[in-house]
Amino acid sequence: MTIIHNRPLDDIAETAPTLAGNAFTRAFSGGSLWRLIGMLVLILILGFLTIYPLAMLLYGSLHSTPPGMAGEFNLNGYRSIMTTQNLIVLANTIGISLAKTIPSLTIAVFLAWIVARTDTPFRGTLEVLITLPFFIPPILTAMAWGMLANPQVGVINMVWRWATGATDPLVNIYSYGGVIWHMCQYSIPFLFLFMVDAFRAMDPSLEESSRMCGASRWTTFRKITLLLMLPVLTSSFMLSFIKGIETFESALFFGLPAGIKVITTDIYESINHRATPDYQYATSLSFAIMGLMFLLVIWQWWMLRGKSFQTVTGKGFRPSVMELGPWRWVTFAFCVLFFFITVVLPIGQLMLGSFFRFFGFYTYDMLTLEHYRNVFANSEFWRAVRNTMVLGLLGATATMALGAIVAYISVRTRWRGRNLIDSMAWLPWMMPGMVLGVGFLWAFAMLPGPIPIYGTIWALLLAYIALGTPVSVRVMTGAYHQLSYDLEECSRVHGATWAQTMWRIMVALAWPAFAVGWVLTFFGIMRELSASILLYSVGSETLAVVLMKLWANGNAEQVSVIGLMMMLLVIVFRWVQLSFIKARISKL
Amino acid sequence: MASVTLENVSRMYGAITAVDNVNLKIKSGEFVTLLGASGCGKTTTLRMVAGLEKNTGGRISIGDNVVSDSDKGYFVPSERRRLGMVFQSYAIWPHMTVFDNVAYPLRIRRRPDTEVRDRVMNALRLVEMEQYAERPSPALSGGQQQRVAIARALVFEPEVLLLDEPLSNLDARLRTQMGDDFRALQQRLKITALYVTHDQAEAMALSDRVVVMHGGKILQVGAPEEIYRRPENRQVAAFFGTPNLLNATVKDCRPNGGQYYKLSVEGQGWSGDCHAATEMPKGADVTVMVRPENLHVRDAGQVNGDLSWSGEVSQAIFRGSHRSIMVKTPAQTLHVEASSLSNVDIGRPVTVAAPVEAAWAVRN
Repeated sequence: MTIIHNRPLDDIAETAPTLAGNAFTRAFSGGSLWRLIGMLVLILILGFLTIYPLAMLLYGSLHSTPPGMAGEFNLNGYRSIMTTQNLIVLANTIGISLAKTIPSLTIAVFLAWIVARTDTPFRGTLEVLITLPFFIPPILTAMAWGMLANPQVGVINMVWRWATGATDPLVNIYSYGGVIWHMCQYSIPFLFLFMVDAFRAMDPSLEESSRMCGASRWTTFRKITLLLMLPVLTSSFMLSFIKGIETFESALFFGLPAGIKVITTDIYESINHRATPDYQYATSLSFAIMGLMFLLVIWQWWMLRGKSFQTVTGKGFRPSVMELGPWRWVTFAFCVLFFFITVVLPIGQLMLGSFFRFFGFYTYDMLTLEHYRNVFANSEFWRAVRNTMVLGLLGATATMALGAIVAYISVRTRWRGRNLIDSMAWLPWMMPGMVLGVGFLWAFAMLPGPIPIYGTIWALLLAYIALGTPVSVRVMTGAYHQLSYDLEECSRVHGATWAQTMWRIMVALAWPAFAVGWVLTFFGIMRELSASILLYSVGSETLAVVLMKLWANGNAEQVSVIGLMMMLLVIVFRWVQLSFIKARISKL
Repeated sequence: MASVTLENVSRMYGAITAVDNVNLKIKSGEFVTLLGASGCGKTTTLRMVAGLEKNTGGRISIGDNVVSDSDKGYFVPSERRRLGMVFQSYAIWPHMTVFDNVAYPLRIRRRPDTEVRDRVMNALRLVEMEQYAERPSPALSGGQQQRVAIARALVFEPEVLLLDEPLSNLDARLRTQMGDDFRALQQRLKITALYVTHDQAEAMALSDRVVVMHGGKILQVGAPEEIYRRPENRQVAAFFGTPNLLNATVKDCRPNGGQYYKLSVEGQGWSGDCHAATEMPKGADVTVMVRPENLHVRDAGQVNGDLSWSGEVSQAIFRGSHRSIMVKTPAQTLHVEASSLSNVDIGRPVTVAAPVEAAWAVRN
């Protein structure tokens, strides 16, 4: 068992280099050389993914011509965005985001309370159903609602006219209300997911002691429960508001036809819908919205400073459950209704649309399987499926790997430069997909000729990795925080090297979080539209882009077919994920 | 088994000195405890021996091998120091069974499967856990986890065993039992052990020698009884239990024939004889330490000890195993631990007496 060879002192004196106290020589002693190289590589990768497109965005906003053409530096871009019209766009963006955040938060709190703190029947199943809309790409629900609530031929309005004899439509999705309504469908499950664990983990003794002090149930809720939840509520509000400003799909589908513009659609339009794309305008606007996001993020930090989210004590207590009596069926019905509206209705519409010859004409003799045949015979569709799958698998794996490494270095080591890579990985958090897309557009165009990334699926892959990194870092940071340092150190003391410890202890313990993050990232990539639509080219379309093109051509029937396929994929993936997590939990 | 030597070992965190010039030699097979309040540098010292922290000054050797020498920039990483360690949290890896946890150090060293099996089972037998080998480790109680952690630390016969407050997460009864079991095991295997704790009772019951630390420095090193009865200064004296510490002035000093000096001291309203480690000049200010369990309460005026105080009983608390009596004297209130059978009335005038061996003086 002589595995180690500790050298006696005389031996060291001859061979060990004498080290001065400066960082440079220290960095090059022993294994530190590899650490230094590793850090440099990591900084280069993150720099390419985040700093480079950001720098190109700035360059583009100051340069008069598209990349590769002779031009001059000027401030015309910024001058051109300073218009009263854009003031309305800004007001629209902020107003719509606020208008969707407030009702979303209210409903999400109510749903979280029902699931976590009441005796509503089938709470476990309801939780799965309520969160499902979060995993459905918004582009699908947008298209489904475009058909459902179309003022002329939408099913809802047809049923309304038939039932009441009215001539005016009941709802018109192409309106402010429509945009907000569609955003809410995504926001509510997102906020629910964000808050439900906080509701569940709250120590019931905090509430019970308030009751013991003589406070009523209602006073307790107001003075204890709500105030304890305040940090979570505030951060949920901010997060939802920021996400609202970044949203693209809702405003694209329901806002533009009605002449309602928000910043993201304005950027999109200035590149894609003008006779000559106005790149300088687009990049200037992108940079301006980043400034806005930056201010919002600072505000979020300022509001949450020093506030702890920790109501979890780690002790295994059961949260006290409120007994609702017969009212529990009302709360049950509310949850089911939510599921019906956000999932069953859109899926039903897609099925309806896929089996009838023309969208809007639902009679028996119009039934057909023609659309399925067309879609399956379409090579572009299969290419998009392949692209989406390749991008999803590679993208999710690469994003999570990068996130795992960055999080490890920033949480578990004291290495020089760990704060730098942490901030770099966090940068895309402030960049809406549309803005990052514009940045990468520029970034790829400025690359020297021998690196032909632009126009390939690798362009999309890089953008997806950049967009997903902040979330993957966060997921892995949470996972590492839960693992005590002792587990790692114990392995080192008992003879394992750093690499062995990583593989046998850290990877083995952190992989459930990795898997959860992987699925999240995969869904994120499948959902992604705003960066894809700028960066795709013929041959590298994703499913979302193909859907978008078919929709633009008025081919709602084939959209329905592809939409159904994607829905199926989402449900299968979600089911696999849930049963996999359950298996993990029961195993422990 | 190997000895451990620390020479002028220091650890700085920026401008803060966590461990300050520590010199310590732990003999082969010896059980040494680092004792001190939290933040005294005991855990940092242990972690430097383990190689989990780098010492910023001094030299650490295990056996004949230097494992860390800050002047030469030489540092052997943890995994090559052949140590066993038990962590405060036990650090039982939750994704492995008991067997896998204990087998880890052997598998890392690529021992053949048959050897791994034999040695793991032997180690588990030592801690009486062999029937739990196939249990998933999250299904263990605290005491069981602690046994597994010890088995894991012993399985590859390390040069030195390091223990970082291993008993602090157990309840009081289990703590005593595990401590006694562990001490018996250590003496049977004759393994060198370095143990960190803040619990004085634990330190005294387990160790061959105790190292009392404070503010990153070693205050005193010695056998438990030595440190308890003959502390070198007031800080060490105050660290164990709740001794009576009385201010006094030296009247006379002479050798008592053994290794100590006999002092005649005088305090406020009392005088008598006590022992001290060094010679003290007349008129020097000293602190006289008398432990509560060595004081006796007698009827007023009845003097038959070497030291005595007269006063009256101000408080008496029944504690089951003994009775705590507070006696108010002109000097200060004295704490006496008397038999729980003795009955004392509050307000009664009494004399408190102690034999000369029970009183120990240190320089202020």
